[in-house]
This record gives sequence, C-alpha cells and structure tokens, in this order.
Amino acid sequence: MSRTVLLIEDEPHIVAALRFLLQREGLTVFDHGDGQDAMQKINSVRPDLIILDVMLPGKSGMQILEELRDDSRTRNLPVLMLTAKGQKKDREAAETAGASMFMTKPFANEEILRNVKALLDR
Amino acid sequence: MARSLTGTRIRERRRGKSLSQTALARQVGISASYLNLIEHNRRGIAGKTLLAIAENLGVDARSLSEGADGAHIMQLREAAATAPSAGAEIDRLEEFIGRFPGWARLIDTFQSQSKFQNETLLALSDRLKHDPFFAEAIHMMVSNITAIHSTADILSDDQDVPPDMRRMFLDNLSAESARLAKTASDLIRHFDTPDQPEQVGTQTSAVDRFFERHGFYLAELESGDATVEGFLEAAGPLSDFDRADLAAALSGYQTMARALPLGAFLDRCGILAFDPLRLAAEYSAPLETVFLRLAHLPKDDGLPEFGFLKVDGSGGVLYRKQLSTLNLPKFSSGCPLWPVYRCFGQPGQPVRAMMNTATGESFLTFSVAKQQPVNEFGLPPSLTASMIFTTGFARFLPKAERQALAQLDVGLHCTVCPRLECPARRSGYILG
Repeated sequence: MSRTVLLIEDEPHIVAALRFLLQREGLTVFDHGDGQDAMQKINSVRPDLIILDVMLPGKSGMQILEELRDDSRTRNLPVLMLTAKGQKKDREAAETAGASMFMTKPFANEEILRNVKALLDR
Repeated sequence: MARSLTGTRIRERRRGKSLSQTALARQVGISASYLNLIEHNRRGIAGKTLLAIAENLGVDARSLSEGADGAHIMQLREAAATAPSAGAEIDRLEEFIGRFPGWARLIDTFQSQSKFQNETLLALSDRLKHDPFFAEAIHMMVSNITAIHSTADILSDDQDVPPDMRRMFLDNLSAESARLAKTASDLIRHFDTPDQPEQVGTQTSAVDRFFERHGFYLAELESGDATVEGFLEAAGPLSDFDRADLAAALSGYQTMARALPLGAFLDRCGILAFDPLRLAAEYSAPLETVFLRLAHLPKDDGLPEFGFLKVDGSGGVLYRKQLSTLNLPKFSSGCPLWPVYRCFGQPGQPVRAMMNTATGESFLTFSVAKQQPVNEFGLPPSLTASMIFTTGFARFLPKAERQALAQLDVGLHCTVCPRLECPARRSGYILG
C-alpha cells in the first residue's frame, strides 16, 4: 500500500517540485498551504509523514508541531521541518518542539528524498 | 584633592597673547615674581587679583578658575579609554586642556566623530538584524531560490519528465526568476538611501542639523519675513522623508511662535520667573508649546538657555537641543533616571526636578508626557515625553525653592557614568 506524505507549505512552486519528486518515488502526496486549519487537514489525511514549513500564514509550523506532539494520535508521527533560517537556535527550537528532522532551504532534491525515505523506514 | 591649575591656565592664556610675565604683572599691580609663583600653581589665586588678571587677558575669570567644562573633560577621558595602551596621562588631563586647548579641541572633535561613526555602525547593524523589510525580503528570496533550485534539478535530471509537467516547471522557473529579480531590486532600493549615514537609526537628523545651523531661533519666520516654504527651499536637497519631517518641524515652530509671540512672551517670563506651568496657564497653551518656546529663544546673556529633549515611548530621540554641559543621545536612550523617562508613568502630569550629574553639573528640568491622538479602538495610547533643562536657574529660582525640589542623581549614559552602584545601570562603565 502506498504511503502518504502531507506537505504543509505555502509556496506553490516548491509544492509543485516536491509533489513531483515524491510521487515519482511512488508516494501519495497531499498538500496544504495554510497554518490555521492544518490540524484538520492532518486529521483527515492521516499521513505517514508530514513535511512542515516553519513560516506559514495563519499559524507557524512550530505551533502546529507542538499541537501534534500534544495529541496522542500524532505524537509519534514523523515530521520533517523546513525552514529558511538555518541558525542553530532555530534547529534547537525545532528539536525541542519534537521535530523528527530539520532541513534548511534551499535544499538539494536528493537530500530531501533521502531524508523522507529514512523517516518512512524508521 | 585635585591640584588647582588656575596658574597653568593663566600662563597659557598670557603666552597666547604674547604678553610677558613682567608686563602682565605690571598691568595687574603685582610683582612679576608673585605672578611667576601663581603661574606655577604655587600660590592660590582668587578675588580681585584673579578678576584683574582675567580682565587684562580678556577672558572670563571663571574660565581661568574652573577650566574646561565637564563635558569637554568627559569627552577626552572617553577618548583615552578607547585606547588605554596609548597611556594617555589622565591625571594631567586638565593641565593638557589648559596648555593645549587647540589640540584638546581637536581630540574632542575626533572623539565626537568616532562616537558618531560607531553609533552609525551600530544603528546599521541593528537595522540589518531587525529590519522587518530586510527579514521578509531574505525569506522571500530563500523561498524563490528553493523553488528554482528544486525545479531546475528536476528539469536537468536524466529521468523523463512528461511534456505537460516540463511545460509547468518551465513556467514556474520563469515566474520564480521574475519574483527573485523583483525582490532583489526592492532590496537594493530599500538600502539605496541618500549618502547621509547620520540618518540611520533616527529620522530627526535633518531637523536637528537645520535647527543647530540656525541657532534654534528663526527670527525671520517669527517676524513673517520668511516662510516655511522659503526655509525648505534654502535647506537644499533632502530625502522626501526629511523634507516632510523638516516641514512639520517648521510648521510646528511657526504655530508655536504665533501662539507665543517673542516680545510679549519674554515680558511674561520676567513676571512669571520663566515658570513654564504659569506661562502655559497665562497663555492657555499646552505645556509642550511653552517648552518649545523656551528652548527657541534668541541667544542673549540676559536669558537662561534651555536645552530640549523629546522622546517616544521606546526612548528613541525625536528631537533634541543640547547644551554644552549635557550631551544628549542621538541613537540610544540616555540615563533611565532622567525625569523625561519617569514622567511616562503619569501622562499630562508635569514634573519639575533638579538633575545632578556625576560630573557636578546641575540642571533644573521640567518634563511632561503627552498622549498622542488615538484613531483606533482597543489599544493603549502611544506617548511622547518632552523635557527642557537649564543651568541658568539661579537667575529665576530662589535657592530655597530649588533645594526643596526632588534631587535626582543621574548620569549621561551608563558607559560614561561613574555611579557604579546605580540600580538602573544597564551596561558597564568604560572609564573606570
């Protein structure tokens, strides 16, 4: 059965590229561009992995991550955080909030695919 | 106790006038040998002899007995502290100023320039770190680059990309490239300001410079012989913001001058002992308008000179008129104990207090915070506060009344304030 990735990212051209890459790997991809109702989308899609941008309209990726970790149904769901800021404190904040992995934009396609596979295989 | 250097200053002033010791002694009516002892600081001097020497040298007796003002000394001490390895002889600072006033002024000037440049650098650095436009532009550019990088990788990959997808990715590349170019142009335009670095960090510099150049008094504007537009035209090239800022300041000045015409105002000052509160009541004018009037009087020995500081709620300086004895901050806030900051707690309540600096100067201050007009619901008011201050208070405020006022021991800025135990200290003292 195909595994499902939910891409929460508000930049449509980044979404288009990632969607293409992930689908080419045989994954089912959903996307969502707003932080406000992201939790509803997560609960309806029930993905195997979330790729979550930090800076989102409505609600930050960090807040969404905290809500995920507070919910017993999603506490262990793998989350790959994406951010435009690569500072150590941002990485630490993401790890503290419970991110499974943290990547800084811009990223190489092979690198994000490798990380997605690693998280799905955990 | 510090050695009196009155004699040293007399000697330097005498030499500056190419006057022999014998000639000056004769003019003053003392022996040349006695003057020699005075000049080598081996005899004290005061009273009539000091006045006679000062008169014959054409200088103010106080400049001989007191020497350099505190701000000047502070400035040179700061200069010495910036390069301690140079081994500047701090203990002979006053002697240096007395003997080489020109060199001392030159170092003072360099120190001022150096401080200004450092403040400009800090302001620029702060702007880069906290400028919301810059942060947003960088975020947008990183997103553009991510989309371009990822899309270009897909297109350059050996694997087949269906024609319709290829078309879509090419369109995406084109759109992201255009967005990137626009963001880059916006960013360049954002930083491509006129070559006036002193404008960084505060937008009041053009106004400050203008009023400093005109001695904080615009006689022609007050008399109606010149207009706001005329002054603006004469001010030369300015950025749009500075022009608007200066126009607002000039209009404010004109309104103030019309509400409180100088001649009648000075008459009332004579009767009301320069008391801003009574003057405001007399004219039914806002206290801040009276502050502005008092800070913009013609230079006249018969009038006390008032400095002026206007700040916003963050402590940022909106307008300032310095006195030679009190350096006001330009980019940063000053001492948090200054009454101008304290009066934010009670907007509209005027505060009168004596401000005593660690270097020995005393200022009579009047301050008031004012609520800015509100045009929205649900938010606390934004405030500005103004303070005028003067050292010339002895002329109009009896000593007993002065002593009854709150006495505030304050500094200029923590870095140059020797009150090490001050509870309001927020940074270290660099001169200790």
